[in-house]
Amino acid sequence: MFIFNFFKKKKSADIAKDRLTIAIMSDRKNSINYPFMDEMKEEIINVVKKYMGVKGIEIKKDFDGDFEALSIDVLLDK
Amino acid sequence: MGIVIAVISGKGGVGKTTATANIGLGIALNDKKCVVVDFDIGQRNLDMILGLENRVVYDMVQVMDGEASVKQALIKSKASENLFFLAASQSKDKSVLKSSKVEELVLKLKEDFDFVILDSPAGIESGFEHTIEFADAAIIVVNPEVSSIRDADRAIGILDSKSNRVKRGEDVAKYLIINRIVAEMVESGEMLKSEDILDILDIKLIGKIPEDRGVIDASNQGKPVVLDKKSKAGQAYNRIAGRLCGKKIDMEDIEIPDSGLFKKISRIFR
Repeated sequence: MFIFNFFKKKKSADIAKDRLTIAIMSDRKNSINYPFMDEMKEEIINVVKKYMGVKGIEIKKDFDGDFEALSIDVLLDK
Repeated sequence: MGIVIAVISGKGGVGKTTATANIGLGIALNDKKCVVVDFDIGQRNLDMILGLENRVVYDMVQVMDGEASVKQALIKSKASENLFFLAASQSKDKSVLKSSKVEELVLKLKEDFDFVILDSPAGIESGFEHTIEFADAAIIVVNPEVSSIRDADRAIGILDSKSNRVKRGEDVAKYLIINRIVAEMVESGEMLKSEDILDILDIKLIGKIPEDRGVIDASNQGKPVVLDKKSKAGQAYNRIAGRLCGKKIDMEDIEIPDSGLFKKISRIFR
């Protein structure tokens, strides 16, 4: 039975399921859709604004080995 | 107070507008007052599917800007007096929508209707965010095809973070419609099974729609396919509408090809 299965061509729907599972897992890992994101951005801007002019803010998720990090770029007003 | 349902998808062209029209009309035929709103600014299509393109005088943006009242802009469907339609603006660009104005409009409609159904634009830009912001529930439409499913997952992710209900710590109900299923292909392993799609996306199913030539035939005439009692897709939409109205209707297994009684019985013993 095992040998027969081995030579049988894999069904494309199964290939689709495997590929999708992996792609979506990685999409979810990289997404930074937190419900508090907009609020947090606003607060960070306000803190920095106390000391210098701020144009905007960009938040990305990074992976470094076992660590997950949010990298926050604050764009300053010249 | 009615319930607000956003009909969304990740990718365009999966049948979102067709689903909106048919679910809306299906609900109306269940004796509930329903309004469908086209949020696809700049690319309106819902009017064509409903056969109301010649009746549009005022659109949603004009209502939000105070140029027309809701009452003036609502168009009654020819197929049911319980169904009303609010058109998208054809000319203005997508950025015209303002959160506070969308909220005002949605709240007003909620007062007068049992169901408010918002047809979201495809993609995940601002128009999409406005439709999910004030929704109590979302219906996600996918095709059994990889790109549509992947994009749907991204849309669900945004729904889970941008919806006002989620921000208030409440749940936003999510239901999946799998559209354009070809039973023969599912059987031969060339198309994803609905259980696999549900596994991957991890949300509740509210209906499966078979691929059906009747859908295009219906949209050609501006008569939603749910009116066609013989159409398989029409029947499927009718079941979904019934479920949304609180009826208990079993999931029909449309993934088994219609191929005579003998084959169906032999499948039971396989």
